[in-house]
Amino acid sequence: MLEKVFFGGKTEQKVIENIKRHIKILCSASDCFKKAIEERNKDLMFCVPDLEREGDSIRREIVSNIYEGAFLPFLRSNICRFVEIVDEAFDVLEDAAYEFEYLGSKLDEEIEDDCIKIADINLKMCEMLLIAFETLFSKEDLREKNLAIRIYEKKVDEIKFDLIEKLREKEVKSFWEGKILSDFISYLTRVSDVIEDASDYLYIMNVSLR
Amino acid sequence: MAELVPLAACILIAFGIGSNDTSNALGICIGCGIIRLRKALFPFGCLVLIGIIISGQKVIKTVGNDLLEVNLSILSISLSVSALLIILSNWKRLPPSTNQVVIGSLAGSGVASGVDVNFLSLSKIVFSWIVSPLTAFFFSLILYKMMEKTLSKLPLFRIERILRILLFISGMLIAYNIGANELATILGPVIYSGLIDRIQASFLGTFFVFLGAVLLSHRVIETVGKGITTLDPYSGFAAQFGAGLCVLFFTLLGMPISTTYCIIGGISGVGMSKGMKTVRIELIKKIIANWVLAPSIAFLICFAIMRALR
Repeated sequence: MLEKVFFGGKTEQKVIENIKRHIKILCSASDCFKKAIEERNKDLMFCVPDLEREGDSIRREIVSNIYEGAFLPFLRSNICRFVEIVDEAFDVLEDAAYEFEYLGSKLDEEIEDDCIKIADINLKMCEMLLIAFETLFSKEDLREKNLAIRIYEKKVDEIKFDLIEKLREKEVKSFWEGKILSDFISYLTRVSDVIEDASDYLYIMNVSLR
Repeated sequence: MAELVPLAACILIAFGIGSNDTSNALGICIGCGIIRLRKALFPFGCLVLIGIIISGQKVIKTVGNDLLEVNLSILSISLSVSALLIILSNWKRLPPSTNQVVIGSLAGSGVASGVDVNFLSLSKIVFSWIVSPLTAFFFSLILYKMMEKTLSKLPLFRIERILRILLFISGMLIAYNIGANELATILGPVIYSGLIDRIQASFLGTFFVFLGAVLLSHRVIETVGKGITTLDPYSGFAAQFGAGLCVLFFTLLGMPISTTYCIIGGISGVGMSKGMKTVRIELIKKIIANWVLAPSIAFLICFAIMRALR
């Protein structure tokens, strides 16, 4: 009884658990993506769209639970928006995975190293996002987690600028080869931007009810 | 037969309280999805009854005994005019304070019929009308500041949960005040005139408040609820609970005051804590005008009717 009063009803608990699951699946998708690049294995990359579909169904469940009346109305739209931003990260990661399939083994070692670094940072950012979400139940400071995510994003930006310099010097044989490579890099580097947006939104959500 | 006129008017006003003022108590809770209207009506009705039985005596005495010595003609005219004014104002979407209309009508008919109106008691009541929104203003402001220093420190989802409980408690406090203050104001004169005893009047009044809430309150609540969903529940609680405490405080002093004006005072208090610009001065001016007009019109109409009939 006391637990229900202080920690929320069934629907609220369900939403919270599903949001955690949603972020954990994003972590798994990022991990899978990283391994696929490291091992240059196109087949491994198929797990990303699979996990994206799973994430999609969880997002739908979260939104329908919220519309059934979980949480105060003032918080509902904020939670939905946060979940949608996380879902956007899934979409961008999936786009990068598709581009990788077209790219195959055409990644230079130099470029590949940077891509692995970015994929690794993306994974760390997802894990940090989960920790940040969990601070909404504890007395820990969300600002520290928010700052860590921003620092990770800055690192990705630095690698991205280096990568662009390298890409400019690289010779491409056809239009499609250049386009696929350019799209792959831009999708890969956008994941961190979206996770940063999600973290910022989490911060806004945290201060909105105070 | 003539005795039925004030009783019928009382029933109409109680029904009006149920249909309109239920939103003061339940609007936020239902708008926030804390409880459904059907489930909320039973505790609402119970608290109205508990309110008038436990804390209603002082207000009943102030209005029914201290203000003036009522007789059947004063009762019939003042309560009928009050009921008519309240229905007309609600129809015109300008809901007045029931307490103010009833007090204005009683004073108007009392002065016109030449009975001894206790002006000291009347001036105390008018003074409490001025002071109560200001008190609610400070109560809500202090409450808001206290919440900033305590509740704000908790994790987000804990705040959300606690706010749900607090909003429900706050709604129930307002329901208690509806019984202890508003219903007590309209029942005071009929109880002291000997038309009905206090317990019977309490049950009858509560029944009609409950009936009004069951039959007609949903529309007003939906409107308030829709408006509230876009409001911040944190400030909403501070304003509503501050106002509730203020009405309870004045009820214990025996003063019939308006919950609506106290809530407006509370909202202004919370608004003030966020800066003067958030308070809509034009709206406050309109409310003050309505605050002066409602009892004055009731006073003048009753005065004129009573003089014409003498």
